[in-house]
Amino acid sequence: MEFAVEVKDLCKTFSSGWFRKRKKEALKGIDLIVPVGAMWGILGPNGAGKTTLLSILSNLLTPEQGEVRILGLDFRTNGNEIRKRINLSSGHANFLWSMSVQENLKYYAMLYGLSGKSLNSKIETVMDMFSLKDFARVRFEELSTGTKQKLSLAKALINEPELLFLDEPTVGLDPDVTNRIRDIIKYLHQEKKITILITTHNMKEAEFLCEEVAFIINGSIKAKGSPQDLKEKLHLGDTILIDFKGLIPAAALKAMDGIYDIQIHNSSCKITVDNHRKRLAQILEFFTTQNIMMSHIHIKESDLEDVFISFTR
Amino acid sequence: MKTFLSLLLDESIKTKAFMFKNWIMAKRNLFTLFEILFWPSISFLSVGLLAEFVNLQPRMRAFILVGVVSMSTVQVCQLDVAYALLYDVWSKALKHGFIAPVGTRHLLMGSLFVGILRGGLVFITLMAASYIIFDFNFTSPGILAIGLFVLGLFLSASMIGILVSILVLTIGNRAEVAAWSLVSLMLLICGIYYPVSILPYWIVVFAKLLPITYFLEYYRGFYGFEPTFSHVLLKGYTAVIAYLFLEVYLMKVALKRAKRKGILLKLSE
Ligand SMILES: Nc1ncnc2c1ncn2[C@@H]1O[C@H](COP(=O)(O)OP(=O)(O)OP(=O)(O)O)[C@@H](O)[C@H]1O
Ligand SMILES: [Mg+2]
Repeated sequence: MEFAVEVKDLCKTFSSGWFRKRKKEALKGIDLIVPVGAMWGILGPNGAGKTTLLSILSNLLTPEQGEVRILGLDFRTNGNEIRKRINLSSGHANFLWSMSVQENLKYYAMLYGLSGKSLNSKIETVMDMFSLKDFARVRFEELSTGTKQKLSLAKALINEPELLFLDEPTVGLDPDVTNRIRDIIKYLHQEKKITILITTHNMKEAEFLCEEVAFIINGSIKAKGSPQDLKEKLHLGDTILIDFKGLIPAAALKAMDGIYDIQIHNSSCKITVDNHRKRLAQILEFFTTQNIMMSHIHIKESDLEDVFISFTR
Repeated sequence: MKTFLSLLLDESIKTKAFMFKNWIMAKRNLFTLFEILFWPSISFLSVGLLAEFVNLQPRMRAFILVGVVSMSTVQVCQLDVAYALLYDVWSKALKHGFIAPVGTRHLLMGSLFVGILRGGLVFITLMAASYIIFDFNFTSPGILAIGLFVLGLFLSASMIGILVSILVLTIGNRAEVAAWSLVSLMLLICGIYYPVSILPYWIVVFAKLLPITYFLEYYRGFYGFEPTFSHVLLKGYTAVIAYLFLEVYLMKVALKRAKRKGILLKLSE
């Protein structure tokens, strides 16, 4: 099996200041293996080290320690070969201010060695994909945040990368543009078979896009797995809220399979279960056999946001 | 053979990319027009008129005009080389170029090409203006001499431009001051308006280290000024080529350091 990214014991410390050296350990021994064809998320609070990690993987930053292999190659010896096959797009990216959208794309396409017909058709394709045609002649400095972001993604596809790093690709965008960009990212992964590593603060986005996520906190990976696995590992479960009349034998209820917790307040009962799909029927049956009247039932599935909060708290 | 040709094509496209960027940015920004029209004209006219006013003999006027034309040419040409990185730094877009599979050679050659175009334009304009306004024939030393002189100036200009780029990669934004001040400083030492022989001996030591000194002496030799140094052309070219090799190496070192320190990222946000 070939890996898109292999990282072993990666450490990065920033030092700043002229005389009194301030040191900041941004990454402390990261191990990460991402298979080819994967779509993984890197999650974590502000300052956790996500951008630092993606910058090292795209060779904008060199670590003091650790091994990095990209698409099976080592950056120290195969930098140019790797650069041809990867790309990066980040949120709030900037481009040459007085060049138009088309000129910016042309410039970066040329940096990847494209010219003539193949250059023009590539620019057409990416502009189509992100509906940038209307802005082709507009200078970068005159674009809205959303369009700048689309340009950043279009630029990242100009060399048809096998491996794509996306650093908060939907930050600061309206819901409509956000959704469209998410759909395109999904398409790139599913149809174009691009391996994608994405960072985001939006847990819905991570859950929608990513097969697996890794939580980085304070420069270390604290957990890795599919969103479902992580929820189960953390015993976050789902919540079933029932408004009722009568008396609940709490101990008997708690003793049932898959129930993590029960809280009763007056006429309302909050039950946390591992998976509501598996447990709802048996809970309802329990209430019926105990002759408890139910007036309202509400189910809330736990999501990655709960995972995030429980990790960072 | 085929791979060699495709390699050559690849190299040329990547070099052209940097030409394209400098060209478009120069076309779009008014200040770049000022650089090639306004400032050279101002210094040319004020110095030329001053020479007229103090009634310099033609030989002395030749000395001064050769100086002022060279200074403007070098200044404009070196700016383009420095702009190769500075445009990206000002746009906060530095990192995108370094993600792409290009080398410093593409960046330097591409921007130098535009620098030669713009610097050449300044040189030709001022050469014509010298003839029309001050009745001074810049071309009398002959085409070969002009060619060797201007090539020396362009190489010296790229030397300064690369130095600015190295500074940008080392100290970031703050290096942009160097783009405008380095030339003035060098021209003070190289003897733009006076022969280096009148400088204090310890400054002459620095003058000897700068290739422009030799190129100026070379060209002024045609107007009856005995060079202070021997073998000026050989010394000038040897020095400038040696510096360029050293600088290309230093630029690679600066880039490595910038990647260690996170400077590429800081200059992109
Ligand atoms: N160039 C730099 N110089 C010094 N310190 C830096 C530099 N870049 C990042 N850091 C520090 O390293 C740590 C990790 O930063 P990083 O940008 O990787 O976090 P992040 O997870 O991307 O955060 P966010 O979610 O806010 O984007 C932070 O404490 C940051 O201050
Ligand atoms: Mg970040």
